[in-house]
Amino acid sequence: MLIHSVIIILQEVFEAALIVSVLLALCRTLTISRGFFIPALFVAGLAASLYAINIVSIMGWFDGVGQEVLNSVLYGLIFIAIVSLFMSIGQARSSYAVSLSMSLCLIAAVVREGSEIIIYLQGFWGDSALIQSVVVGGFIGAGIGFSIGVFFYYLIVSLSVLNSLRICVGILILISAGMVSQTIQFLMQADLLISQAPLWDSSWWVTESSVVGAILSALIGYESTPTPIQVTAYIISLLISSSLALRSIRVYLKKSSIEHT
Amino acid sequence: MLIKQMLHLVGLSLLIMAPFLVVATPVQEIEIRNHLFYPSEFEIPAQTKVKLVINNLDATAEEFESYALNREKVIPAKSKGVIFIGPLPPGEYPFYGEFFPKTAQGKILVK
Repeated sequence: MLIHSVIIILQEVFEAALIVSVLLALCRTLTISRGFFIPALFVAGLAASLYAINIVSIMGWFDGVGQEVLNSVLYGLIFIAIVSLFMSIGQARSSYAVSLSMSLCLIAAVVREGSEIIIYLQGFWGDSALIQSVVVGGFIGAGIGFSIGVFFYYLIVSLSVLNSLRICVGILILISAGMVSQTIQFLMQADLLISQAPLWDSSWWVTESSVVGAILSALIGYESTPTPIQVTAYIISLLISSSLALRSIRVYLKKSSIEHT
Repeated sequence: MLIKQMLHLVGLSLLIMAPFLVVATPVQEIEIRNHLFYPSEFEIPAQTKVKLVINNLDATAEEFESYALNREKVIPAKSKGVIFIGPLPPGEYPFYGEFFPKTAQGKILVK
């Protein structure tokens, strides 16, 4: 039981920690205040608990697919937050808009992953035989996930400003497209979008259950059997995110080089 | 430029979501008891959409997970979850419970 809870909690914490560490590193690179971080985390924790506590009634919404609808909204929000973050970098009075977009991104990501952790743990509350190993495993998993986030953060901020900006923005572009693909996936599961046969099957190469698969899935939204709609939406989102990101980086670099001269 | 891009995106998604013919969807019920799926193996017709109703009778939550089907859903303790699958080509589609993967395993045979 212990090893399973390590893996389950690690997976959820890793996905959230990846986004949070990139956002915090980006703040440092752009010299934007991180004052929003603690309040946003607090709101996210509260919202994740509310989601987990009310999960059974949420599941009943929309004829039994409320969970899918809510999850696709959360994934959609992360995409919107990243896009609006890109739009606000380099703008006049950008720091306010950047903090707001980052808060939205952080809240949606933590609610999505955090609620699943709470639901998982909830089941063991009354089980005195299992709760101990689940909690210990959970702490180990959370510790590893958190450490990866911290490591990632310091790795990014140790780079030059230009390189760390490139890395942060690059990762966020990939994450944003992955989020759109996940949104589509949940809408299909809820039968709100037509289900299709997969476009390809790359599970012979990397399965999502492997470690590499899990990392790729968190980082670029890897899916071994994606449907044509998912692939199309992924490419469109990639184009939207990257064109916005490239433009704002150019504006930002121009602005900061003017300030420095 | 951006507004135009967004409008294209909205247009495309509306096109994709265009209403499709509504036919009665077959239902397959699955129970989770003591971290096991009942039935753990069952058949569904090929090229047909099927509604899985998963009834978790355990005191612990379970996550229905299938990479072959591209589906994942957390089913809290003592509750029912709905998952739509298919239309699928014939074949074997394994699934498992992510929270208790040692015991909770099953297979859908599409014929």
